[in-house]
Amino acid sequence: MFAVNIIHRPEMVPEYSQKVTGQGKAEDMGDEGLLTESLDIFKTQQECAHKYGLKTTIQMTYASLFNEEAVALAKEHHEKYGDEIALSLLGLPCEEFREKYKTKDFCIWMFSMEDKKAIVNDVFEKFHDIFGFYPESTGSYYMDADLINYIKETYPSVKCAVATCWEEGPKAYHTCNNSWYTFMDGGPWAPWIPSKANTHAPAANEEEDSGIVAIPHLSRDLLACYDGNGSNFGTHPQNVLRGMIYDSKTWEYPYLYNLIDQYRYQARFNGDDAYNMMFVGPGWMNKMGRWEAPYELLLKSYDDGCRYYGKLKEEGKLVDMTMSEYADYYRSRKTYTVPEVALWKDILYGSEKQLFWYTDPYMRVGVNMDQGGAIVDLRPYVAKLIWPVGIGTEHITDASYPFLIQEKYRAGYFTHYAGEGTVRSAKVIHGKEEVDLCLCRTKAVCEKTEEGTVLTLDPVEIEFSDVTVKLQTVMTFPEGSGVIRTERKILSISDPDADIAINEYMVGCYGTTEYAEDMTSLELSVSDEMQHVEKIPYEYKCRELSAENAASVSCLLPPVDTLVSMEAEGNKKCGYVKEGYAFSPMFTLGYTGTLKEKEVFTTWLKLEKAD
Amino acid sequence: MAQAGKGRLNYRCPSCFMRDLDIDMFYDKEKKEYYCIRCQYTGSEEDVLEKNEMVRFRYRAMGKRFEFPD
Repeated sequence: MFAVNIIHRPEMVPEYSQKVTGQGKAEDMGDEGLLTESLDIFKTQQECAHKYGLKTTIQMTYASLFNEEAVALAKEHHEKYGDEIALSLLGLPCEEFREKYKTKDFCIWMFSMEDKKAIVNDVFEKFHDIFGFYPESTGSYYMDADLINYIKETYPSVKCAVATCWEEGPKAYHTCNNSWYTFMDGGPWAPWIPSKANTHAPAANEEEDSGIVAIPHLSRDLLACYDGNGSNFGTHPQNVLRGMIYDSKTWEYPYLYNLIDQYRYQARFNGDDAYNMMFVGPGWMNKMGRWEAPYELLLKSYDDGCRYYGKLKEEGKLVDMTMSEYADYYRSRKTYTVPEVALWKDILYGSEKQLFWYTDPYMRVGVNMDQGGAIVDLRPYVAKLIWPVGIGTEHITDASYPFLIQEKYRAGYFTHYAGEGTVRSAKVIHGKEEVDLCLCRTKAVCEKTEEGTVLTLDPVEIEFSDVTVKLQTVMTFPEGSGVIRTERKILSISDPDADIAINEYMVGCYGTTEYAEDMTSLELSVSDEMQHVEKIPYEYKCRELSAENAASVSCLLPPVDTLVSMEAEGNKKCGYVKEGYAFSPMFTLGYTGTLKEKEVFTTWLKLEKAD
Repeated sequence: MAQAGKGRLNYRCPSCFMRDLDIDMFYDKEKKEYYCIRCQYTGSEEDVLEKNEMVRFRYRAMGKRFEFPD
């Protein structure tokens, strides 16, 4: 089933709107014209959804709780259309808030814990005073674990929250001229149950369960958004306009519908379930227009978005739900360890590029078929990293879940002149020739088997000067294991006697941004076949260790509480580790071995919590 | 020279947009041109619109409707 949550918030002083309409004027939070316009936009959004037979979740903002008309509208629409009256932690700014909290901060996860509690108490009690009950749904762009835990403990009625925005991090910051401090990369793209320890990392069991179902802020393009500005590529019609992804003469944007349809397509990999979320703040439908898009186009795009969802509903292909209804549905369908996967293709740039994304309580993995099935993004959820955010913590604004591999921030296969970038791939070697599978573009199919989620790549041909090898990669993600098994099989070889070697490797590091972190606490290990362990404490000295027939090779990363290791099975296997150096602050784990026709070389990449 | 303001619409700099940077331009009434305060782009409204068409070069499938089997 394809479920959609459409969410509206009466934001009395919308983000953007206040700045845009106020151009050339001093700030005025109580500007009557601004308040009237904001409420009108909310009404328009509600009309768009209702006329196509869609129910909404009305997320009341703190400011709107002081507005009688907004409250009356919410009550009326709840009665008439079945809309859920919920409470947003967005839209805090208003005269009352400024006066009480003496700050211009507005992102709930960035406040001190003391202020988070005070604000939550304030808005939830105000909501109760107005409506006579506590909300079942809430949200913000990001909800840190301490915040969710506090809300769930104090207001147990809450069962659903908007809790992250997929890959909104340094890329969004750069797009906004380094002025938009929403760093929340590394989370799930589809609904999940957050762990009590870290919102981004899904709970592995009841003990870890935070008690809510989290939904992402918007459904993002899993290819375009990873590479470019996330705010251009999502189920937010005005974001599509922001990206200029429309015909400026006809005002048509098939991309929006392709995006929705590609999400629907993911149901086949996820137990027949797919999900979309549309949440457009009123600032995006400003009467003044938004950037080069006039109001008429803003309105048309929102109406078209609702119309398309309405059409799918009419055709029996979509079920519209409120957030709390969706939380109940999600709980009835999912178990903790079942992964969320997506096999995603380019629907915008005209390439045939294909990515695969996998999320479970132990890891988030991005695989790029344009690079022969290389892992280009890896997050060790198994660590359930304690990562408090907000004023008074070590991470005031950085809520991203750290990576071990991130090809955009830490190079990936291609580097300039020297050093290495983070990626998990393999090199196929014949004599003095070497070909990295990152240069073998291919496609894949995904299926669920008893062994787990299996990604089978189309075979690739590797041409050496005197021999051609046809090789296939199969990646298996056993459910609930934190392990990725990679099999490389030579299907055929033009000279069956040729010596073919393989070098399976992972270049890694850790971090949340483009910039290198201090690697000196890391420790590399090689465990030989007798389980004797040799170690290299990371000192940027470019050292290497290896052992024939090694049992495992590993790297301990204390800053992210993670142990990453590799094991292998195959002819002449030899495990190795490499320390990096200052110009290449990475580590490498790997195995070499040999292959003949019809033979397989298998490796297991394993993520564990360090302690 | 009087201070700059916003034009009829709130155009972004097309040159910065091509490097994934959304930055509002300001309008110089005397010169009748938009200008970017971050980079060196200046241009009339007509030029901005022309360049906005150019920035779409990377969206080769922008007008295509894809089929996904149900």
